[in-house]
Amino acid sequence: MDITSRTVFLNIVRFFFLIFFQVLILNHLNLGGYINPYFYVFFILLLPFETPRWLLLLSSFFLGLGIDLFTNTLGLNASASVLTAFARPFVISIISSGTESLIGNTPSLKNQGLKWFLYYTISLVLIHHFALFYLEIFRFEEFFQTFVRLLLSSTFTILLILISEYLMYPKTK
Amino acid sequence: MQNLFEFLRKHYFYFLFLLLESLSLFLLADYNEFQRSSLYSTSHAISGSVNNVFSSISEYFSLRKTNKVLVEELAKLHSRLPEAYYQTDTVSHYRKDSIISLEYKYISAKVISNSTNKRNNFLMINKGKIHGIQNNMGVIIGNKIVGQVISVSPHFSWIMSILNKDSRVSGKFKKNNQLVNVEWIGGNYRKGQVKEIPKHIVIMVGDTIITSGNSDIFPEGLLIGTISNFTIAQDENFNNGEIFFSTDFNSLGYVEVVIDIMRAEKEELKASFKSQ
Repeated sequence: MDITSRTVFLNIVRFFFLIFFQVLILNHLNLGGYINPYFYVFFILLLPFETPRWLLLLSSFFLGLGIDLFTNTLGLNASASVLTAFARPFVISIISSGTESLIGNTPSLKNQGLKWFLYYTISLVLIHHFALFYLEIFRFEEFFQTFVRLLLSSTFTILLILISEYLMYPKTK
Repeated sequence: MQNLFEFLRKHYFYFLFLLLESLSLFLLADYNEFQRSSLYSTSHAISGSVNNVFSSISEYFSLRKTNKVLVEELAKLHSRLPEAYYQTDTVSHYRKDSIISLEYKYISAKVISNSTNKRNNFLMINKGKIHGIQNNMGVIIGNKIVGQVISVSPHFSWIMSILNKDSRVSGKFKKNNQLVNVEWIGGNYRKGQVKEIPKHIVIMVGDTIITSGNSDIFPEGLLIGTISNFTIAQDENFNNGEIFFSTDFNSLGYVEVVIDIMRAEKEELKASFKSQ
């Protein structure tokens, strides 16, 4: 397999794995009644830099829709995911200084370094969770309560992503 | 026209985003409408079949929640058992409805802190004053005793476990209704002491001890334990025994708090007797 079809295959596998991991395991995790990580957003983060933008939007849309089918919240995760995918190119261009940061095929802790990857992950996870949590309640009465939930869940999602990164690239340099 | 296409091509990313985002929001906002459409049945067929395959796995992850629902249901059923009702025989010539009236109510609660390895053990549960819990209410699990509420905050309660030096449960032999006291002297959390068994009672290993209903804490007939050992005292009026608690205090998940609806009346009666 050449590198392109290998990347495509890897992302398709990741797409389904993350959906099932989310709906079968993480959605049943409700730590302290507050924390519910949405780890599936990792898929959007890990799409290659060279992904066509239409594919970025469409795959994220179907990713969210896949989650929605299982949680009976049609459109909720889809809209949050599409927004995240839309924001991704802008986040990348804001946090990258010149093209030299964009080495490698996909965004990763190893290639871009901890600082870059942290900015990248935190921005996108917060955008995603913000859209998700506020669309879910769809009113501002519980603004602060939701904000706490949002921050706690985001923290947990970001931690899960960082742990996965470290597991994928154990101790380099 | 040429310019329009050029414009669309150049900014397709924005338009595609707007399209997908509005589609999602439309689905989200118009979900009820969507449920009636044929698209819904198709999508449900897909997710349904996948869910079917994985339900045996995902069921496992919701066991805790299912368990909680079951315990709450059990508490409701307990409230409807004959034992939960107070017999008002004297008014039986009135309306049929008033023969019995509710005496006990049960509230299920989750144990969020527990110990069995100290001399004085306490539990904390996740229900409190706003759920109707007050001091001195009994706490049970199924038909077995756990302890007594000693302190309540709006959302939580402290329970004094039977495994406590201040705990004294009024029990009786199931076979002949002879009253005894059950205490715990520390050590093994499954074994307690039965005090003040009258001399003339024939004790056998395996005799069941149940709550007497004499204290206002527990309803009558709850399981305390079974006699596992006893000694015949030579020069005292009472024999002592060892009891094996029916309750496994080390594995309490959800418990029920017993609310005695007629407690105020009973206390009033006692107070009026004392003040005479």
